[in-house]
Amino acid sequence: MARLGVGRERENSTHYTQASAAGLGISRQIRYTIFQPSDSNANSIPVWRKGVVHHLRIAADVQQLAEARRFVAAAAAELGAPIETSDELVLAVDEWLSNVIMHGYAGRPGWIELELWAEPAGLGVRVTDAAPPYDPTRRPEPDLTLPLEQRPIGGLGVYLIRRLMDDVTHAVTAAGGNALTLRKKFPPTPQGDAL
Amino acid sequence: MNIVVEQAQGRVPVAILRLQGDLDGSNYRDLIARAQALYQAGQRHLLIDLGGTPYMSSSGVVALHTIALLYRGAEAPDPEADGWRALKAVAQAPEAGAQEHVKLLNPQKRVAAVLDQVGLQTFFAVFTDQAAAVASF
Repeated sequence: MARLGVGRERENSTHYTQASAAGLGISRQIRYTIFQPSDSNANSIPVWRKGVVHHLRIAADVQQLAEARRFVAAAAAELGAPIETSDELVLAVDEWLSNVIMHGYAGRPGWIELELWAEPAGLGVRVTDAAPPYDPTRRPEPDLTLPLEQRPIGGLGVYLIRRLMDDVTHAVTAAGGNALTLRKKFPPTPQGDAL
Repeated sequence: MNIVVEQAQGRVPVAILRLQGDLDGSNYRDLIARAQALYQAGQRHLLIDLGGTPYMSSSGVVALHTIALLYRGAEAPDPEADGWRALKAVAQAPEAGAQEHVKLLNPQKRVAAVLDQVGLQTFFAVFTDQAAAVASF
């Protein structure tokens, strides 16, 4: 995969076109993002970057977990992720979905949306829902040097998410739900560079 | 996920639970229920065959530890509880340490990785040979 160089995406300048597979809840979007080079060359100009955003909307039901895992694995493979990156992303997304369904919606009907896209040398996933806000990044890290009986209760899924992902950010949506963004870098190649 | 129960005889009777399919938040309570039913029927030694389970989330980890606690004769933790609660309950139970009553057979790479990621790779005795596993009880 070609590297795009060092720079900064201006998230607020992202535009989408979308082609949905009607009735399946799965769609592929084309995201156009202004990529701002960060070098000091005054002649550098922002460039448009085109990227595919894979999208899935599911009901907040644990029976949908397998479908979500298949979606993440397939999208990650299409975006060139190595299998170990895909496996870790699948597990992290599954853990968050399980948390949202079982503890956020807690049996109430609801929906969850997933978006997955390529980033320079990695992948990003955003999971959005309308469950009561819960910020997993504010949960203290468990001290794994402690004996099991002294570890704090709860949070095994959140622990796995934070252990597996390179970056986890949480925001409360305008509607009062959760938007969790996970980022995972590809492992270095034998040449010492990321894929 | 399908669960098939078989019986084997070593020095003691051993129930073998063969899982087919992913073990996740949608079915981990089914596994606990099957293991609990066997315990209530008098079974005291359990071998869980994970050879047909390509994927396990932390819900599966909670199921395995809940079953381990059950087979120690202790009260099971609430399966709704997330994360470390089940592990804490196991650690506080009598005979805390190596598992004597519940052992694992043929965990696949991804499943073994999850056990490793939560620091429990040595918590369960793991076998790749069924006869050796049955004989170990």
